[in-house]
Amino acid sequence: MAVVLLLFMVPPVSAETGKELVENSVRFDGATVTLRGEVVGVLMRGDYAWVNVLDNGVAIGVWCRANDAENVSIIGDYTHNGDNVEVVGTFHFACTEHGGDLDIHAENFTVLASGTPVERVPNLLAVLLSAVLVALAIFTIFWLRRLRKEKSEIVPWPMSWT
Amino acid sequence: MGLRKFSLVSFLKKNFDFIAGVLSEIGLAAAIIAVAMVICMLLASVKPFL
Amino acid sequence: MIPAVTREDLKVIGYNLSKICYVTGAVLFLPIIVAVIYSEFDTIPYFLIGSAIAFILGCLVSHFLYTKKEMELKHAVCMAALAWLLAPILASVPILLSNATASGLDACFESVSGFTGTGLTLTLDIDHLSHSINFLRHFLQFFGDGIGIIVVSLSILGKTEMSSVLAFKGEAKDMGIRPSIVRTSRMIIKIAVAFLIIGTILFTAAGITAGLDPGTAVFDGLNHSMTGYATGGFSTRSQNLLYYHSVWVEVVAIVVMVLGAINFNLHYVVLGGRRREILKNIEVRVLLFMLLTFGLLVSANLLFTNFYTSGEALFRKGVFHVISAQTTTGFQTVPPSQFMLMWPVFSMMLLSAAMVIGGSANSTSGGIKMLRVGVLLKSFWGDVKRVLLPRTAVVRGSFHHIEDTPLTDTVIKGAAVITISYLILFSVGTAITAAHGYGLEDSMFETSSALGNVGLSCGITSPSMPAVLKVTYMFLMWAGKLEIMAVFVLFGFVILGLRKGIKK
Repeated sequence: MAVVLLLFMVPPVSAETGKELVENSVRFDGATVTLRGEVVGVLMRGDYAWVNVLDNGVAIGVWCRANDAENVSIIGDYTHNGDNVEVVGTFHFACTEHGGDLDIHAENFTVLASGTPVERVPNLLAVLLSAVLVALAIFTIFWLRRLRKEKSEIVPWPMSWT
Repeated sequence: MGLRKFSLVSFLKKNFDFIAGVLSEIGLAAAIIAVAMVICMLLASVKPFL
Repeated sequence: MIPAVTREDLKVIGYNLSKICYVTGAVLFLPIIVAVIYSEFDTIPYFLIGSAIAFILGCLVSHFLYTKKEMELKHAVCMAALAWLLAPILASVPILLSNATASGLDACFESVSGFTGTGLTLTLDIDHLSHSINFLRHFLQFFGDGIGIIVVSLSILGKTEMSSVLAFKGEAKDMGIRPSIVRTSRMIIKIAVAFLIIGTILFTAAGITAGLDPGTAVFDGLNHSMTGYATGGFSTRSQNLLYYHSVWVEVVAIVVMVLGAINFNLHYVVLGGRRREILKNIEVRVLLFMLLTFGLLVSANLLFTNFYTSGEALFRKGVFHVISAQTTTGFQTVPPSQFMLMWPVFSMMLLSAAMVIGGSANSTSGGIKMLRVGVLLKSFWGDVKRVLLPRTAVVRGSFHHIEDTPLTDTVIKGAAVITISYLILFSVGTAITAAHGYGLEDSMFETSSALGNVGLSCGITSPSMPAVLKVTYMFLMWAGKLEIMAVFVLFGFVILGLRKGIKK
């Protein structure tokens, strides 16, 4: 029974990381690769689209069908983690179709998980510190101007800030 | 009281040198691009014969 | 005999540095507008803190170091050198507080890279950076490099014969009176803003064509226009311009880079009506010659090593990076590690040479500058002619920069001194980089990028880079932007003060 179960268990497809692909781009050139990562950019180009997928600090452009790109709901930015996608396709280290760009032409494009919003709450300490420093700056400006004015009434210094 | 009527023609006349200068400089860059593209295309087409 | 350093000298320098503090404080207010537009309210305190610190420091320094004494050349040069350290340190405060970088040193590095218009980046995750911090990075390049350095170099550093040739040709000759610094500065700002607007429109149009939504296209367009004209090279994306996969974005980038690399004086006369000057100018001719030579060699090398095989790829990868290197911008359309691991060594060396040579003098570009290269080449040719011609023949050299200028020994000496200083620093920087285990051509590439204020990276510059290298590259960026001489004048001033003490 265990043997039957083992036979039916499909091992997960190992994916190459963005860093691996870029640093070994000649080795992977023309090969079918799997890339999983976060979507950080979608650029629609008619029937096709560029989807920039970020994995392990390295982003790679994926050339896919516009229909696939339209499945991406959230693009990663300051307030969002983008959709997690899996791309299976042909890797090119210098794509002849796209002016020598390093890219993947997707054969399979799957959104694994939707993106999530990122809460960016103001740091209370920073808010307090900024309030204190701004008040101090305003006080310093006016206090020193007053000092200068008082001194100039005794000694004729020009009250020039330039 | 009213605003002075803006005339595109007089604006262009007044700033003709500036606009023409900008276009000349952009033209220089465009010429660089054009020549570079031609050289690259020529190189790529000549390679199979070498 | 060199007079000793006095307290008044320190006061003059300090008092004028306080103005830099005020200006930096004001600069740090601008990103708050961006933060409000994009509802990034959590970043606002960081800019307020940085701005407040700058203003407080400025006030205290201007009060306690107040002096009526006029600035002399030595004060101006030292002040310029210190300004390009002080301003980045103050501007690094919001970058550090927002956790955009891993450490305070990295934040300073980023800020120095911004102000000097270099573009090497240690930002941790550009794709998830806030719009306001991203805007600050780009604005620092536009303000510090696109406007600031030219204003400083014209108004303060333009005292040597070479500098006066560079600085005031366009204006003094025409007016026949002493050049007006304020008028010249206003003209610089007007030209920079005009090209910023034009660049933004072109980049936005290209971005929309590439498939961006209009809002993103405008934001990216504005930022890339700022760094393109400033020949800085920072990008709003971790992939730099490769993010867009668009030939139109790259074409617009080339146009903006070339505009930024043109001498300000040439802009002034061309935009004033003397359009023919654009082709008569020695620097434009050297630029065209360099681009043709390097472009041809790099493209041929990439083609015959079967790296890129189509004409389009040769242009978009080969020629584009030659232009990016020569104009010392640093926009990139290949991943950094591809330069290090894949590009042929010969092409890497050519790009390094282009970065060291640099753009036009009195432009936003870095490097040795084409005017100096042109002067040295003409001087070399003049020497060859002297040997070939009869003894009694008189060889008089000249070069056309706005107008015909005689090639005097002083001009040649000035060019040679700066060139040799660059090459010495280049060698030292390369040696220090190589000592950390990097290959020679990669070390040369990254060093020339830092020293020439370019920003192209083969992957050495990263948050995990050794701290010694970060400090080394910060020094190179700083020295490169000040054209070396100001840095050594400052060192001389400090050594003089230490040796003879500060006199009353």
